[in-house]
Amino acid sequence: MKDIYRGKLVRLAVEAPEVMTKAHARWERDTEFHRLADGDPAQLWSEKKIREWIEKEMEDDPLRALRFSIRTLNDDKLIGFVGLRPDWIHADAWIGIGIGEREYWGKGYGTDAMRLIVQYAFLEANLRRVTLGLHSYNARALKSYEKVGFKLEGVLRSDTLREGRRTDGIYMGLLREEWQALQGVAA
Amino acid sequence: MKDILKGQWVKLAATDPEEASKSFVRWQSDSEFKRLLDSGAVGLNSTKAIKEFIEKESDQAGTNLFWFVIRSLEDDRLLGDVLLDVGRWNMREGFVGIGLGDRDFWGKGYGTEAMQLILQFAFTEVNLRRVSLNVFEYNPRAIRSYEKVGFQHEGRLRGALLREGRRWDMLFMGILREEWTARYLTTSI
Repeated sequence: MKDIYRGKLVRLAVEAPEVMTKAHARWERDTEFHRLADGDPAQLWSEKKIREWIEKEMEDDPLRALRFSIRTLNDDKLIGFVGLRPDWIHADAWIGIGIGEREYWGKGYGTDAMRLIVQYAFLEANLRRVTLGLHSYNARALKSYEKVGFKLEGVLRSDTLREGRRTDGIYMGLLREEWQALQGVAA
Repeated sequence: MKDILKGQWVKLAATDPEEASKSFVRWQSDSEFKRLLDSGAVGLNSTKAIKEFIEKESDQAGTNLFWFVIRSLEDDRLLGDVLLDVGRWNMREGFVGIGLGDRDFWGKGYGTEAMQLILQFAFTEVNLRRVSLNVFEYNPRAIRSYEKVGFQHEGRLRGALLREGRRWDMLFMGILREEWTARYLTTSI
C-alpha cells in the first residue's frame, strides 16, 4: 500500500498552531485569495484571533472534520490547506481547499492536493460521494475540479454580489464509482 | 400597510418555547415527518433538550435568524414552524426551512401559504436579493409546493442522501427578488 498523504507535487501535512496562524494571517491579507475562497466580507483578524480559531479547529472531533495543511514535495513549503467535513449518515462530505501562496496558483499544486483529499475520502474514510462549492468567477478552480473529475451539479443563480456584479454559486460533486472508473480501480 | 405576517389560512407568529417544545416533542415522534424535514438520523430528544434548543435559537432571533411558528387562522392551532436564516448579509441572501408537524394539515396548501408569507417577509421586510432552500428527492409534496410558490430548480447533488437502502438526490432551489416581485407585486420595489 502506498502513502496516501503523498502526491506528485504536494503532501498532506499537519502544522503546529503557531505556524498555521502565521500562514493564515499572511494569506488573509490577500483579498483576492479571500474572495476566491469565501463569500464573507474580507476582513483582517489579529493573529491572536486566528490562533484561537485554529486551536479550536484542532480540538474538533476528527469524525466531524478532517483537516490538513498542504506542503510542496520539492522544498517543503507550506502553501495552503484542505479539509473534509463528512456527513457519516449519508456518507457524503464537503471539501474545502485554499492555496494561500500566490506563486503556486495555476501550476497544478491545488489540483494535486485535491486528488489526495478525494482519494482519502474514498479509500480511507470510505465515503460514497464528495461535494464542493465555488464562486463562478473562480475559473481556475472550476477547471481544476473538472480535471479531478468533479461534475457540475447545480448553479445558484446570482447568489454572490462582488464588485457590484452578481455572480453564481456553483455546486460540484463526484461519486465514488465515477472516481473509481477514472483511477481504473475495480469497485 | 397590511399585516405581512398574515395570509388567508395561516399566520406567522412568535415562538413560545414552552408551547413549541411540547409540539416539537410530539412531531418528532413521527419519523416520516423528521425524515422529510432534515437529513440527520431520526432520534428522539427529551422535552428539556428541545426546550433548551428553542430558547438558544430564539436568542439569535432578529440578527441572522428569523424564526416563526405557523398557526392556523381558523382555530389558532400550532401547525409547524418556518425560519429564514440570513447567513451572509453582504450577499443579501437567505435560506428558508419549513416544517408542518401536524399531519392533518399536509397537502392542503397551508405550508405553501406559510412559505409565501416568509418570502414576502424576506423580500419586503428584510430586503433580501435572493432566497434559497434545499429539499430531498423523496419529498415530492414539498417540491411541488416550492414550485408553486415560484422557486426555480437550481441544482441537484446526485445521490447525496441514503435512505431506506437507496440513494436520493438533494435538490437546490432558489428565487430571486425580481422573480418574486414580478409574481407577487403589481408595483415594483
